[in-house]
Amino acid sequence: MDASAVAFSFLAVMVIGGALGVVVTRNVAHAALFLLLSLASVGGVFILLVAEFLALVQILIYGGAITIVLLFALMLTRAEEFTNVRDNPQWAVAAVAALSIFGVLGGVILNNKLDTQELAGPSLEELGTELFTNWVIPFEIASLVLLVALIGAIILARAADGDDGQPSDAQDPSSLTDTDGTPGGRS
Amino acid sequence: MELYHVELLSAALFAIGIYGVLARRNSVLILISIELMLNAVNINAVAYSAFLDPGRLVGQVITIFVITVAAAEVGLAMAIILRLYRTMSTANADEADSMKW
Amino acid sequence: MMEWAWLIPAMPAIAFFFLATAGRCLPNWSAIAATGTMAVAFIVFWFVLADWFSMSALPEVKAFGFSFDWIKAGGSTFTWGMVIDPISLVMVGLVTAAALGIQIYTWSYMSHEPRFTWFFAVHSLFAAAMLALVLADNLLLLYIAWELVGICSYLLIGFFYDRRPAAEAAKKAFITTRIGDVGLLIGILLLFAKTGTFELSAIFTMVENGGISETVITAAAVLLFLGAIGKSAQFPLHVWLPDAMEGPTPVSALVHSATMVVAGVYLVARMFPFYEHSESAALMVTLIGAFTAVGAAAIALVVTDIKRILAYSTLTDLGFMLFALGAGGLTAGMFHLLIHGFSKAILFLGAGSISHGSGQTDIRQMGGLWRKMPITAVIFGIGALSLGGVPPFGGFFSKDEVITAVFDGRGWGFMAIALLIGFMKALYMGRVFFAVFLGKLKPENEHAHESSMVMLAPMLVFALLALFGGFLALSYTDGYQGFGYFVFEGTHQHPFHLNKGIAIGSIALAVSGFILAWMAYVQGSLKTEPIIKRFSGVHRVLINKYYVDEVYQWVIDKVVLVFGRFIAFFDRAFINDIGINGTGSIVTTTGRFMRYVQSGKLYTYAMGMIVGFLGLALAWWVS
Repeated sequence: MDASAVAFSFLAVMVIGGALGVVVTRNVAHAALFLLLSLASVGGVFILLVAEFLALVQILIYGGAITIVLLFALMLTRAEEFTNVRDNPQWAVAAVAALSIFGVLGGVILNNKLDTQELAGPSLEELGTELFTNWVIPFEIASLVLLVALIGAIILARAADGDDGQPSDAQDPSSLTDTDGTPGGRS
Repeated sequence: MELYHVELLSAALFAIGIYGVLARRNSVLILISIELMLNAVNINAVAYSAFLDPGRLVGQVITIFVITVAAAEVGLAMAIILRLYRTMSTANADEADSMKW
Repeated sequence: MMEWAWLIPAMPAIAFFFLATAGRCLPNWSAIAATGTMAVAFIVFWFVLADWFSMSALPEVKAFGFSFDWIKAGGSTFTWGMVIDPISLVMVGLVTAAALGIQIYTWSYMSHEPRFTWFFAVHSLFAAAMLALVLADNLLLLYIAWELVGICSYLLIGFFYDRRPAAEAAKKAFITTRIGDVGLLIGILLLFAKTGTFELSAIFTMVENGGISETVITAAAVLLFLGAIGKSAQFPLHVWLPDAMEGPTPVSALVHSATMVVAGVYLVARMFPFYEHSESAALMVTLIGAFTAVGAAAIALVVTDIKRILAYSTLTDLGFMLFALGAGGLTAGMFHLLIHGFSKAILFLGAGSISHGSGQTDIRQMGGLWRKMPITAVIFGIGALSLGGVPPFGGFFSKDEVITAVFDGRGWGFMAIALLIGFMKALYMGRVFFAVFLGKLKPENEHAHESSMVMLAPMLVFALLALFGGFLALSYTDGYQGFGYFVFEGTHQHPFHLNKGIAIGSIALAVSGFILAWMAYVQGSLKTEPIIKRFSGVHRVLINKYYVDEVYQWVIDKVVLVFGRFIAFFDRAFINDIGINGTGSIVTTTGRFMRYVQSGKLYTYAMGMIVGFLGLALAWWVS
């Protein structure tokens, strides 16, 4: 058992463990932290797969940006107790379904072992050249997608006129213009 | 470390993500589970690139795009969840069911 | 002026649209608008007629026409056009003159009627539809106008729709004529299927060339005649016409003289080449015409309501016209149509004047009215003598033409029937005139008064036409050599010729008819009661109109309604409950169960996706 196998086993345990923590914990904040653990471990797997740049991107974007955004989302929507979220009633069926999926995928994987080459990865320079020559148009489009998504997010999340940004007390969804707080929305 | 080890890891992560999507009520947790599934795909793409692709490039490029789209998706989804919370006073996906029969 | 002929039907149509939309706001203008447009149409008719005589000096010209494309569908082009030939000119002249006169008469007659405007609107549309009918150069346009005439007759007969008999009569007229219309429509479609065109001239060319088989010609001729039976109230569809008396008198006058009932006669005259080429169809026209004429004349001798007597006399004369047409006498049929139109307009307007002035409609309640309404008496007498066939009134000439044509076409036997009809016409015309105007004035009629000049003036004009119209048959100049040179079939132009034997016989019969009537109703030397007693069975049958209405009622009650009830049950049970509601309830029930799938919860939908994926994987693995 060489070092990479040991490292992979360790990282795999971390990834799976973190992911399980995400889906079973009753504390939403813990769920986000477990996600961070799992995604950082995925970054480690990327290093083992000779993709150092991606590992870095993984840590930066998932570990830095996305997890933070998700934590914000959790905190801004604290509708119920923070530490005791309940799963929905079909969680047992969901477990069976997920195991079935894993069975199907695992069966396919183990029955179709592919002939592999020597493990290798591109240099960062090669990746950059490839990205900005052959893939330049998709790359630019991806940047546009990001821009549009951010504008859309701003428009969606912005408080409408007469909306004070707080959930209305009434459960009636039609009470969008309910102004028991400050009249005139913030924008 | 063989290719199928990595593939199995990816499958396990994907299945866990599916469980999370199916079993969770809080929409933020559903979103987190979707992130897990996206990462399972990323692992697969990078592994195929490292083990199978002669140029070793396409999988990594695809992964970059997946990460980009995931970032956009999280931003939008969070905006939607905030809107939902303001309108319905809940972030639980199964309570926003006013359009059913 | 020929190309302006479209103005003739267009003018009253404009009046209708004007009155139907704006008439409510301008009630005082309704009579002026309707009559004014009709007068314009009448004037245009004279210009067209003058043009005809100046242009038809060329020997080869038989008709003028113009048309423009209306619909192009597939390989067929439908046109919308007019044909101007002697037949349509006779009809246009009669319709415009009668409609104009009757509308002027209506000013006074209907002046107390609150729906005065609507009356004029529909009256105008009625005239417009009839004018379009007689000017149409293709069967499609003819059929449209034909149905418009039908709906207008419905509206006018049922003008007093708040009175139940009027509403029933309107329904009866519409539905009865509709039965004949179905035959007409099938005939038109049959011709279209066989010739690919609706245009009359093209169809006639094919008939002449033998482009259509004999069987089709006969079938089409019989089917078209079915339409004529309905509209012209021939047996067995004659039942609507006497009931149509429920409408206002000007309507009856228009219906009986110029529009509606003569449409059927016009149709047979217009489609005359068909009857020339199909002996059996022509024989059918003759027989039905003769049968209706004799049967209706017999009823006219016994009924006592003045308007009903006139209605049955109309049936007689329509049968008489068809009798002539079926015997090959196009000239005679059209001439009698024209003279009858004028004479019958007088009689109906006179009957309206009598009931307007005296309040009576039963001739047994009248008598001696000439002292109270002398002008009406004179005019009515002219009409009665004309239709009775006494020379020199118009009706004598036309009746003589018909009898001669029947003799030429069908021989002695049918001529005897025609003479008998002539005698009966004289008898009932004498009866109605003498019973109403001569004899002793009844005390309850002391208040009777002469009608206003507005009503009398049109009657006077018609009286002159009925008086001198007969001389149209004679030759005057090279341009007009008599009616027989104007309206003729094929190359069969002929001058007016008196068959001396027939003429003497018919004059003798007509005069004896009037004398008999005078003896019975004025002098009293001939008692009617013993005759009625002697032939009480016959009398009862006649009074009850041969029980035709009762037979129809029985058929409707016992056959049509029973069958209809079965159809209604089938519709309710199978079409409605099983077919329509069944489909609906299947969908509803399915939906009631399926809606639980729509939980509105995100995770059930996601679960559906996963289960679907697993199912696909399973299917893939199994295969």
